[in-house]
Amino acid sequence: MAVVAVFASVAPLVYLGVRLAEFGIDKVLTQTLRSRSFELLGNSVLLTLAVAVAAITIGSFQAWLTVRTSIRGRSFFAILAALPLAMPSYVSAYAFAALVPGFKGFWAAWLVLTIGTAPYVYLAVSAALVRSDAATEEVARSLGLGRWRVFKNVTWPAIRPAAISGAMLSALYTLSDFGAVSILSFDTFTRAIYNAYRSSFDRSAAASLAAILVVITVILLVAEPWLRGKIVPTDSRVRKTSLIHLGWFAPIAGTVAVVWAAVGILLPTISLIRWNLIGLSKADAGELGRALVNSISYALAGGLVAAIFGIAISVLVVRFRSKTTLMIDRTIWLTHAVPGIVVALSLVFISNRLLPQLYQTSALVIIAYLILFLPNAVAAMQTPISQAPRALDEVAASLGATRLQTLRRVVIPIAGPGILAGAALVALSVLKELPATLMLRETGVETLATRLWNATSVSSFAAAAPYALILVLVAGIPAWLLNRQVRQSMFSQVDLDRRLERE
Amino acid sequence: MNNKLKRGLRVSAAAIAAITAVTALTGCAKETTPTPTAESITIYSGRSEDLIAPLLEAFTEETGIEIEVRYAGSAELAAQILEEGSNVQADVFFSQDAGALGALTEAGVLKTLDSEITDLVDAKYRAADNTWVGVSGRGRVLSHNPELIDEADLPASVFDLADPAWKGKIGIAPSNASFQSFVTAMRVLKGEAATTEWLAAMKENAVIFEKNGQILEAVEAGEITAGLINHYYWFEHATEIGEENMKSKMAWFESGDVGNLVNVAGVGVLSDNAAAVTFAKWLLGETAQKFFVEKTSEYSLTGIPAQAWLPALDEIASPNIDLSALAPLAETLELIRNAGLTD
Repeated sequence: MAVVAVFASVAPLVYLGVRLAEFGIDKVLTQTLRSRSFELLGNSVLLTLAVAVAAITIGSFQAWLTVRTSIRGRSFFAILAALPLAMPSYVSAYAFAALVPGFKGFWAAWLVLTIGTAPYVYLAVSAALVRSDAATEEVARSLGLGRWRVFKNVTWPAIRPAAISGAMLSALYTLSDFGAVSILSFDTFTRAIYNAYRSSFDRSAAASLAAILVVITVILLVAEPWLRGKIVPTDSRVRKTSLIHLGWFAPIAGTVAVVWAAVGILLPTISLIRWNLIGLSKADAGELGRALVNSISYALAGGLVAAIFGIAISVLVVRFRSKTTLMIDRTIWLTHAVPGIVVALSLVFISNRLLPQLYQTSALVIIAYLILFLPNAVAAMQTPISQAPRALDEVAASLGATRLQTLRRVVIPIAGPGILAGAALVALSVLKELPATLMLRETGVETLATRLWNATSVSSFAAAAPYALILVLVAGIPAWLLNRQVRQSMFSQVDLDRRLERE
Repeated sequence: MNNKLKRGLRVSAAAIAAITAVTALTGCAKETTPTPTAESITIYSGRSEDLIAPLLEAFTEETGIEIEVRYAGSAELAAQILEEGSNVQADVFFSQDAGALGALTEAGVLKTLDSEITDLVDAKYRAADNTWVGVSGRGRVLSHNPELIDEADLPASVFDLADPAWKGKIGIAPSNASFQSFVTAMRVLKGEAATTEWLAAMKENAVIFEKNGQILEAVEAGEITAGLINHYYWFEHATEIGEENMKSKMAWFESGDVGNLVNVAGVGVLSDNAAAVTFAKWLLGETAQKFFVEKTSEYSLTGIPAQAWLPALDEIASPNIDLSALAPLAETLELIRNAGLTD
């Protein structure tokens, strides 16, 4: 299965290879080695770094606030922190641009993408905080360390791997984003790739640019383990620890969280409602219903398939750790920054040559989702699966259980919440996905995202608004589920330890 | 016991999820389900569903030919058709602009159309080798905000926009296909040197947008004085917010100015399906031509009078140029790119 996943993941690379070979190395070099390319590369890298740093800061702060402190309404803050995940970045970009005149350029793109991707860090860090031992912090504090030094020397090292892997998702998302940067008029590499398709119908020029994104991804992937630092060993048992009382800092922290949520969720929502009120165009209820059903079907199927492959890869990496399995794990990330349109075109190219029966069926759409979002699933699942004690595997084996039985009856139940979280994350991404769906869906099948695209492309913003609002509401369900899973794992972990002690 | 029950529940929940997903997918709610016996064609439409769907319904009603249609951007669909290789699914490509059709002509995937179709429109609105034909016209206009500029001060030529007085006041969408066709026309008519100079001036003066619609919104909001767009965006926007709420107006340049270029949306046929040719011809018939005039506010190419608020097609002093000469875009893109206006 992992092999299948790897084959799927490298499919876009094969396609890029074919296109580049056809193009010839000279032309590739002249296409890519222009000063404009470097300028765009600079823009992309700058935006990616700025978004990643902001996402780490904001996401970690929200996680700390909602997991470690006694601030009033922390569950509410937790929901607010995860909710922007439900808002597609092209929707919030459009919504902001419509509300704030002159909202464009670097900082606009930075804000919209930070809002959209900080939840990746927030979720990862929350999960890490829940698992890490707060007692160490208490000891540090009792030894007279100030709050900042406790954070720097004790808390940060414990959450750093999670924060970095969350930021990695955020960075790769930013690299591959087209919708937000194009609406907000900020020139990035991905925008250049789309423009190469759009304006010159030049598939090879676009391919050479996309290849550069793959190179950047490789650099990020190589840098990641180094940035993560060492994983701090934690006592797998989590004690209930007292929460930090913020005192005078509470109102400030609360205000920051509320303002951020208002900017990220409330403003775009107001803007969407305003569209609906100003405009004269109307959405058709029947079409809305059909699009809703299709979106949900794709999301469920995408989530399910990604969960199955995600489990296979996570188990392989966690239980059978070797150079090969680590390679597999890294390979699925390679194409994560490749824009959706390139992934879609590569599947058009490959399926028409190898499996024409598959072309324009829902199966191919699901394969595209697998390529695009498997890394999100694996990122969410790997740690929970690694936490299922190995000893239990051995006990199961000694009792005559096969590997599959062990997986089904031991690993999956223990890592259940994590697996569900991974599937929810993929379902959420599927709901928001546009370019691959548009190109690969069965002719005549429309989803909320494709309808939304259709309505905005003829400036029928009022007709678009219900699609956008429903999309946000539906995507809110997995977002909420995800958040709940992460926060609940705090209790299930304690539960598990108790159960283990009993057994 | 309790654990067993929980596990059972979990497994059945997963099973139910899987089954719903699969059944829902196999029966994905589709808009149309053509019966296999009836004649049918598959259309890839770069023109948007909101505008075109009623037209396609009328076609099925009149001819009994069922239609399956796939909507996406014209350029994306052209790329998709090219990547489909020998397994092309579309019988007809209905494009928003001549450029995407030209790309397919160049790749040799379009069938030559019969002269009984191509003769319906003027030679300047179809491919030189008759592989595609224009079905509706759209003009380039200068959209402007009358609160910011008097009618008397409007530029006589698109070249006047190069004047430093326009710095920060004029909006363009250089990555947009219609802008690029216009620049190609400029290149063909005025030469490379003049075009390069104009583009360099635009780099100084223009505010860059992604789409025509955004330019119009900025003109409406008074963020910029004027913008270069296609005429029907005004109409789309007026339909959305109400004509009485429109602040901007449209203007044309002096006679023959390249800024008045009229481009077309058109069709090309990709398969041997006879119904595809029927469709192409039907688009030039009365029902479709009237539809373009009345519903999308475009120009008929077969002589049906345009809407009252628009000058007639032959009154627009458009530059004299063969649209299929606009197809080789590569040089234009190089100029636009070298001017620093696009990537």
